[in-house]
Amino acid sequence: MAEITISINGRQVTAPDGATVLEAARSADIYIPTLCYDDDLEPYGGCRMCIVEIEGMRGLPTACTTRAADGMVVRTDTEEVNRVRRITCELLIADHPADCLTCSSNQRCELQKVASYLGLTHQRLGRMEREPILDESNPFFARDLSKCILCGRCVRACQEVRQVGAIEVVGRGYKSHIGTFADTPISESVCESCGECVDRCPVGALSVKAEALPPTVEVKTTCPYCGCGCGLVLGVRGNRIVRIRGDADHPVNRGSLCVKGRFGLDFVGSKDRLTAPLIRRAGTLQQASWDEALALVAGKIQEIKETHGPDALAGLSSAKCTNEENYLFQKFMRAAVGTNNVDHCARLCHASTVAGLARAFGSGAMTNSIGEIEHADCILVTGSNTTEAHPIIALRVKDAVTRRGARLIVADPRRIDLVRFAELHLRQRSGTDVALFNAMMNVIISEGLADEEFIASRTEGFDEFKKCIADYSPERAEAISGVPADDIRAAARAYAGAERGTIIYSMGVTQHTTGTDNVLALANLAMLTGNLGRPSTGVNPLRGQNNVQGACDLGALPNVYTGYQNVGDAEIQRKFERAWGVPLPAEPGLTVVEIVNAAAEGSVKGLYIMGENPMLSDPNVNHVREALEKLDFLCVQDIFLSETAQLADVVLPSACFAEKDGTFTNTERCVQRVRKAVPPPGEARQDWEIICEVASMIGYPMRYDNPSQIMDEIASVTPSYGGISYERIEEKGLRWPCPDRTHPGTVFLHEREFSRGKGKFHPTPFREAAELPDDRYPYLLTTGRLLYHFHTGTLSRRSEGLEEISPPAPFEINPEDAAREGICEGEQVELSTRRGSVRARAIVTARSPKGTVFMSFHFREAAANVLTNDALDPIAKIPEYKVCAVKLAKVTKSL
Amino acid sequence: MSFDEIRQRARSVWDAFSAEGRRRVLVGTGTCGRAAGAGEVLYAIRECIEQGVIDAHICEVGCLGLCYAEPLVELAGPGTPRVLYGGVTPGHVPQLLDDYFQNRNLRPDLALAIMEGDCADGIPAFGELPVMRGQVRVVLRNCGIIDPGDIDHYIARGGYCGLAKALQQAPERVIDEVKKSGLRGRGGAGFPTGVKWGLCRKSPGDVKYMICNADEGDPGAFMNRSVLESDPHSVVEGMTIAAYAIGAREGYVYVRAEYPLAIERLEKAISQAEQYGLLGEGILGSGFGFHIKLKQGAGAFVCGEETALIASIEGRRGMPRTRPPFPAQSGLHGKPTNINNVETLANVAVVLERGSEWFAQYGTEASRGTKTFALVGKVVRTGLIEVPLGIKLREVIYDVGGGMPGGKRFKAVQTGGPSGGCIPASLLDMPVDYEELTKAGAIMGSGGMVVMDEDTCMVDIARYFVEFTQSESCGKCAPCRLGTRQMHGILEDICAGRGREGDVELLHEIGAAVKLGSLCGLGQTAPNPVLTTIRYFRDEYDAHIKRRKCPAAVCREMVGAPCRHTCPAGVDVPRYVRLIAAGRYADALDVVRERIPFPSVCGRVCFHPCETRCRRGQLDDPIAVRALKRFAAERGMRRRKKRTRRAEPTGKRVAVVGSGPAGLSAAYYLGLMGHNVTVFEQHSEPGGMLRTGIPAFRLPREVIDDEIAEIKKAAGVRIRTGSRVTSVDKLLERGYDAVLLAAGAHQGTRMGIPGEDAPQVLDCVDFLRAATSGADVALGRRVAVIGGGNAAMDSARTAVRAGADEVTVIYRRTREDMPAWKEDIEEALEEGVKIELLAAPVRIRQDGGALVLECIRMRPGPMDRSGRPRPVPIEGSEFEVTVDAAIMAIGQIPEALPGFGCEFDDRGRVQADEVSLQTSRPGVFAAGDLVTGPASVIEAIAAGRQAAQSIDRYLGGRGEIEEVLAPAEESLPGGMLEEQDERPRVAVPKRPAAQRVADGGEVELCYSEEAAVKEAGRCLRCDLEEPEE
Repeated sequence: MAEITISINGRQVTAPDGATVLEAARSADIYIPTLCYDDDLEPYGGCRMCIVEIEGMRGLPTACTTRAADGMVVRTDTEEVNRVRRITCELLIADHPADCLTCSSNQRCELQKVASYLGLTHQRLGRMEREPILDESNPFFARDLSKCILCGRCVRACQEVRQVGAIEVVGRGYKSHIGTFADTPISESVCESCGECVDRCPVGALSVKAEALPPTVEVKTTCPYCGCGCGLVLGVRGNRIVRIRGDADHPVNRGSLCVKGRFGLDFVGSKDRLTAPLIRRAGTLQQASWDEALALVAGKIQEIKETHGPDALAGLSSAKCTNEENYLFQKFMRAAVGTNNVDHCARLCHASTVAGLARAFGSGAMTNSIGEIEHADCILVTGSNTTEAHPIIALRVKDAVTRRGARLIVADPRRIDLVRFAELHLRQRSGTDVALFNAMMNVIISEGLADEEFIASRTEGFDEFKKCIADYSPERAEAISGVPADDIRAAARAYAGAERGTIIYSMGVTQHTTGTDNVLALANLAMLTGNLGRPSTGVNPLRGQNNVQGACDLGALPNVYTGYQNVGDAEIQRKFERAWGVPLPAEPGLTVVEIVNAAAEGSVKGLYIMGENPMLSDPNVNHVREALEKLDFLCVQDIFLSETAQLADVVLPSACFAEKDGTFTNTERCVQRVRKAVPPPGEARQDWEIICEVASMIGYPMRYDNPSQIMDEIASVTPSYGGISYERIEEKGLRWPCPDRTHPGTVFLHEREFSRGKGKFHPTPFREAAELPDDRYPYLLTTGRLLYHFHTGTLSRRSEGLEEISPPAPFEINPEDAAREGICEGEQVELSTRRGSVRARAIVTARSPKGTVFMSFHFREAAANVLTNDALDPIAKIPEYKVCAVKLAKVTKSL
Repeated sequence: MSFDEIRQRARSVWDAFSAEGRRRVLVGTGTCGRAAGAGEVLYAIRECIEQGVIDAHICEVGCLGLCYAEPLVELAGPGTPRVLYGGVTPGHVPQLLDDYFQNRNLRPDLALAIMEGDCADGIPAFGELPVMRGQVRVVLRNCGIIDPGDIDHYIARGGYCGLAKALQQAPERVIDEVKKSGLRGRGGAGFPTGVKWGLCRKSPGDVKYMICNADEGDPGAFMNRSVLESDPHSVVEGMTIAAYAIGAREGYVYVRAEYPLAIERLEKAISQAEQYGLLGEGILGSGFGFHIKLKQGAGAFVCGEETALIASIEGRRGMPRTRPPFPAQSGLHGKPTNINNVETLANVAVVLERGSEWFAQYGTEASRGTKTFALVGKVVRTGLIEVPLGIKLREVIYDVGGGMPGGKRFKAVQTGGPSGGCIPASLLDMPVDYEELTKAGAIMGSGGMVVMDEDTCMVDIARYFVEFTQSESCGKCAPCRLGTRQMHGILEDICAGRGREGDVELLHEIGAAVKLGSLCGLGQTAPNPVLTTIRYFRDEYDAHIKRRKCPAAVCREMVGAPCRHTCPAGVDVPRYVRLIAAGRYADALDVVRERIPFPSVCGRVCFHPCETRCRRGQLDDPIAVRALKRFAAERGMRRRKKRTRRAEPTGKRVAVVGSGPAGLSAAYYLGLMGHNVTVFEQHSEPGGMLRTGIPAFRLPREVIDDEIAEIKKAAGVRIRTGSRVTSVDKLLERGYDAVLLAAGAHQGTRMGIPGEDAPQVLDCVDFLRAATSGADVALGRRVAVIGGGNAAMDSARTAVRAGADEVTVIYRRTREDMPAWKEDIEEALEEGVKIELLAAPVRIRQDGGALVLECIRMRPGPMDRSGRPRPVPIEGSEFEVTVDAAIMAIGQIPEALPGFGCEFDDRGRVQADEVSLQTSRPGVFAAGDLVTGPASVIEAIAAGRQAAQSIDRYLGGRGEIEEVLAPAEESLPGGMLEEQDERPRVAVPKRPAAQRVADGGEVELCYSEEAAVKEAGRCLRCDLEEPEE
């Protein structure tokens, strides 16, 4: 980049062309006071503190908005400049409460800093009497508008960074203040409680309610909620986490956090945490010693193994635990117990992704990284309510659209928040994705928009695929999916015409009996247009949990060892037998749903569950309960007494993310550090330690000094993790494949060739969902997540604030349907499917399409998975959470 | 259709409309007309025509600008000239139409002007109306003349010719033409329009926008609204030309939603222009296309700022951003954008149609063309005017506007709206152009011009404008949002009497910082009203802060009843007037005596400033306060109970030098406070100027004697007459603890012209002293008096009474500018005194026994510092006046008194602290004319009170002289505050001129009881009014 030189206070300063005067000054360590300036926000020029003198310019321009030009002569500290600044600062202080000593921002307050720079010593101007406006409606933060200096950073953060627009400057003159639409309390606005505004506030106007005491130490770690993998900085004081902020240097979140990450971590110190092992005695769980509990677990495992063989035992690993723990857990099941019956909840979310993308490309992960999304010029988001389920990734999508002019196509039955930013909203009937995508490809082929060269040089199977596609005219797809044919054409042209088209999807695509086909269709679409193997392109499944990618990577799957090394491959089996020093089973094990079914049938007798809650997460929960109750022995290792743990024979208390060292692999394949900030409560132990104990007790000694050693072992047996070590990821994570110690990691996959060599087109004929609405069950039920809760609520529902903002247990219904059923907002309704019934509170909203009701699966009070269909995708064995038939009945209120 | 064909057709429409002999009724139904009732008038006219009484074509036109005469109706018919009628009511209509159309009666009683042709039936031609004489109508060329809803009218009068011409030239040529015209932005900043267009044209980009800024937001400004309502096509055409020049294909008119009629007419104009192919694609067969959309603003003042306006069009909050980049580089949606004001665009069409040279003939070198102004406030002819730039402010206000109503004195004019500044009288001769206004601390602005008279408080005005800008500040930048608020707070304090020393300096400091530190034009100009009023009216600020006085008696919280506030001695006028109305005359007199020891004197000779601010005066006539005071004094005296109490003796001795109203008032109060007071009077009788300066026909000697006797008795004051004090030191040596100098101003000043030392040339002081002491002062048959003040009047009238039968007052200014009281001038005229105005002697020579005054005539020149036109001699207008004697009455100064050992100024006045009245010598105080120069009796009394308080404090007392003599009031019935009916003042009885001249007795008599009670009943009792929340 070209450089320019300007003179500041007589010093020659060099800055990149395009820099502002303020940036140039800062780069030379020349202080210019600011209040409204923020590195991440557009310059505002409002606080008038950064006024400077520039030769040849009239008046006193603001350094933050003035671009530096070569040869410019700037003076930042003249008498006149400081006189005007001083008056401005005096005006602000006269309008500000004089309670600095007791203000939560004391010592960090930027107004204090500027006042001190300007040498203000006494209050000269008359104090302005302002009505105190205190808005404490948000459970997490308070707004004290009397302390507000109207720098607008919160407004801009809300608009520019989050693009939520909950607040704006309202009113005029002295009455100008930051307010919501119609000046309601913030809790009644569209505010998403992300706290970005609080983070940016230079004074004490916005403050986190819980922050009474400042931290003494800060620990960098990775957020335990979704798969975004945001960098967290935990502020610790004693044994408590007292402040949480986003890691500004982190490439994924750049300092931002969502409501859960910033405010929803109180589960760590929850009084509900398990602090001692529990053993079921006379039907009730009672506290026991570790020795007792471990002896019982080891004994039962030994007993079942000896009586019924190792395959009568099964284990569920955890997408919430670290890579190291997942590695040890599957090693434990395979090497110590001797079965491949190990799986985890990834089966329930992205098994079809793993199956589909592996077939098409040879690798089942996000092809590209999160940061690349921002630079795509066309984004197809389908089956992903990104703003709620992956809030930080959604920021990149919004940025791409609003800052860089990308075109956004949302294909989703629900009118999700991202539709605000979309050029096209394709509202397909749930379960008809294949027809829709096939029709888009039909248009691309028939209009000659396909990337012929890419198809020819990089792919195979095109001809057969093409034949299949020919049947899917947009009109036919319209008849099936309900999406207007012209919209399908427009979407096809937009995506095919893009230079860098990227596809983002999530469980709306995968959780179908046609899940694998859905994924394959998207893979076809990307290959057809050559949108692969380049920056900002690709097919990008967003993984749901913090470490679901890692759990898969580390082999917590019945058919593969770490790094997707097939258990059926004899050579690989031998490699692991050598490494682990025992013979290993050759047959793939059972999947999650199969394990449950086997338990119900009695072929699986003992189940070891680490950090999973199938009682809420699995489909057809009533069936799951029956199965678990039938087991001879159930051991649950968790941080809370979950719905599943309540059924266990032994419950082992474990440490949560903030209490241990390790790594998580986020959705973009990036392996990142997790660091211990506080000690576990009571006698709770780290999961990996517990596994080592149990393994040793059943005759397979496992011993590690620390998780770093485990990672070294992982690297030694896993080619894609081969170059990863704690030393290398101390500062920043590494994206796999990272085969050796010098490899820089892989930002995007399939650059020159696909993992499987050539990309393979698969014909994907359309099939209907397993269960469709009919006369008895007239509505279609679909499920998903809410912003404020996570998964089965084990963590998020322990946050009083999250619970307050998003109380149990809602479902959404279209206004027309609600009118037909006589349902009003807030009313209790019984939802019934062929599998069960739950009661939930109605939210009447046009977000839901006609004929479809939506429910989240976070709430045990109305467990959606009592209702969902456990019909499986034939290949990936993923259940069809997203489509089933439901009927509604208003619950008559009893007096 | 070609443009020629369009024009042909338009002309035939116009010709048919305006054909000679066509019966037409034009009604001005702009918003201003409607507000004045034009809608009802129109309805009445329609009724007449529909009932078949009259056959005529009705047309609604826009605004002619004569707001003061709305509703306006113009009639035209066969064989009669077109006549404009003003102030027409529905009641007038049937008869007016009948008279005009049937009876050939032009109705001169209602007519304002003949619209075409010469004056007839005493009705002036339109162009000869005083309001029109200074005007040049370029922007307003069609306003009030054409039907704004008919595009043909506009085209027929030259409309769209400019566009047709522009389209035949390259855009650069169009820009050059506008540059050559010298047209500058009429929105206020005055940036050259052609240059602005050139910048936008040069900005790279395929998409550009043209915006018309019709967000007129200044209080009192309505120029743009009138143009949009009366001639919308001129703006559409201007915009289209501008769009062509800069290369825009899309345009917006940003007009505030408060202008519904303007919006309606614009919408219609746009759709007509589209129908005619003058807007839309392929305009007039060219390749150029342009589309205009209307964007209604919600009325935020700041949206007049370009970047805020753009934000508002984009759907964001109307907040400005910093510039650069300028809109010409990055404007609407980030594209190059040109924004011009309505008036600028209305000029553009003419520049193109008639050429830049034609346009540039008006105005000055740097400010070409004309400017519209909304002339409002305290001016006779309010309205919308258009004058060439460079015209003098005075011409606008006095010639076009007709000056102040009610003979009030001009104080200031505010230009440029709330961001502008207040220009004082002394700058009235300033030419109105961008640079001069800026130099004066104001701005041109979009053209609001608010005239203020003496009843306007400049601090209050500054407070009002800052309140406006404060409430319209967008809140983005701290200096504007908080600085205006802080300034407003300080100004509110000052207006409420809570001002503090240093406030003005603080206002200045904050104001300067807000100007420099604010982000946009709003903040950068918001302090202007404060800074200019400080610059030009600092004395008013000081009066508020130091003396807790609002000279204009406006600031409610401080003022209470304006009469009482204006009275220098603070006499509680409403209370005693009310007591008179209640028949309690003795109590009324006691109320007066609570503040002054000279009720009878003041009842006769007070110059009653109280009456000038009386609120009743705004309804009909002010209350006759002085006459009521005399009544109270005369009637109350009879039943008066002695209530005044003298305090215990303090043992302190005070010497008062001079026994005029100042010295005696001070002595009275000092005596009441227990001090031992001696008054030294050089003449043989006490009273000072009361006795030696005021003739007995105005103030009988016994009145003076009575009141002085009362002072001596009640306060134990000793008066040593015939005792001239020459040295303060001696008084102090004699053991006086304090000395008050109140020797007055007894020495007449001279003009300094040749011959004035002739023996027949007398000094008015000497003359009046001699006359009042009973000496023979016969001067001969012919007497001239030089001067225009009260001393001149007294001298002239005394001369008349001394037997002169030809007394001429020669005064160098106009009668309006004479400082003498209006009543005295009238009485003098009744008594046969002649007044030669605008004349002054330049030399006096003796001719035998007679005096020849060589005089010269004067004309009013530029404004002097007092806000009056300076008299300028007219060359060659010399004339002579031959008299037997002349009296110089042009001013008095104190006698030189070096023995006092105080500091004096160049006019011989003793320097004393404004508040304590202490001189440079400790223990020595000074008050009255000796300090202020010649002033009034009531001011002298007030100074005496002030001195007494100050001296008492000096002597260790608390300076408490407040007395309550009258009993506290019981609650009084309300109701009169609402009075709306006019009830003129009850005339004060006077003796006939011949009689009073013959016997030398009093001129004025006391009210009868009935008259007094009636007059007192007129009081509106503003003192009871609750301050507004």
